[in-house]
Amino acid sequence: MTRQAPPRWLQRALVFLLAPRDRETVAGDLLEEYREEQAPRLGTLRANLWYLRQSVSFLSIRSAGGPPVKAALTWVSVATAGAGIWLAVMENILKHAGYGVRTAVAAAIVAEALGTLLFLVLDSRPVFRLIVLAGAAALGALGISAIARNVSGPHFEGFVLIVGCLLVAQAVMTFAVVLRAHYPKAV
Amino acid sequence: MPIDTLPAFAYNVDIVAEMLGAFEQAVLLAVWKLADDAYGRGVLRGVQSALDREVAAGAVYATLDRLEQKNLIASRLEEGTPVRGGRVRRYYRVTAAGVKALNESKAALEQMWRGARWPLESNA
Repeated sequence: MTRQAPPRWLQRALVFLLAPRDRETVAGDLLEEYREEQAPRLGTLRANLWYLRQSVSFLSIRSAGGPPVKAALTWVSVATAGAGIWLAVMENILKHAGYGVRTAVAAAIVAEALGTLLFLVLDSRPVFRLIVLAGAAALGALGISAIARNVSGPHFEGFVLIVGCLLVAQAVMTFAVVLRAHYPKAV
Repeated sequence: MPIDTLPAFAYNVDIVAEMLGAFEQAVLLAVWKLADDAYGRGVLRGVQSALDREVAAGAVYATLDRLEQKNLIASRLEEGTPVRGGRVRRYYRVTAAGVKALNESKAALEQMWRGARWPLESNA
């Protein structure tokens, strides 16, 4: 038996995603499986990835309670956050001119994606709703600009097109979900 | 008595197909096989073993919740152990209605396949 445990933030994230009834039981089951089976068999890093995968599976269950667009927005936000992290990492590896600004933009993309995820799992306050909407508008503009420049520019990059489409999709869906929550009959 | 010797009407096979999905059957059967040891972790491992692939914990627990709402399983809490940080365990057991639903699902499947030679060959 091992005393190893997943990172504390990951355990907290799991508890956050669980329904109150399941918080102790499910978190206990996964910790037991982690310590007795996954960590000894896979090692700490892969066991942590296993724990992360299992935690994310509760995210989709949690979001499945809403309309389909809410569930889709959850996954688009996860993808956008991943794309933002990827962009930031690549900018800092390649260090082309102006990489600092582009890293900041990538960080803002990640922040907006994570903010949207928080909005989806929390009962949002009006101020938070406005921040998410403003961020979504900025993401949409950034996405359209990226697509336009990529299509009309000398070098076409498929990854930029995909990220641009992701940003636009996230912006549109965020507006739909937020406005639906605020004006249920109008949207 | 073997299930395939019972008449189809004994299991209301027309209703059953809508009652339990394949994944629900896998979870319910795992709970039944584990008997007194059926708590979440064991059920997760049982389903993975039965399906021979990694299964998302979220899907298993959501199914357990749904089966409990349908009164096909019941649960009780028991004290936790140190390895799980003292967190309580939720043990499940299949109710009489759950056993009936499993039997009916098996009967429905067998009736559906009656007359078809397995593995199927293309008849196009």
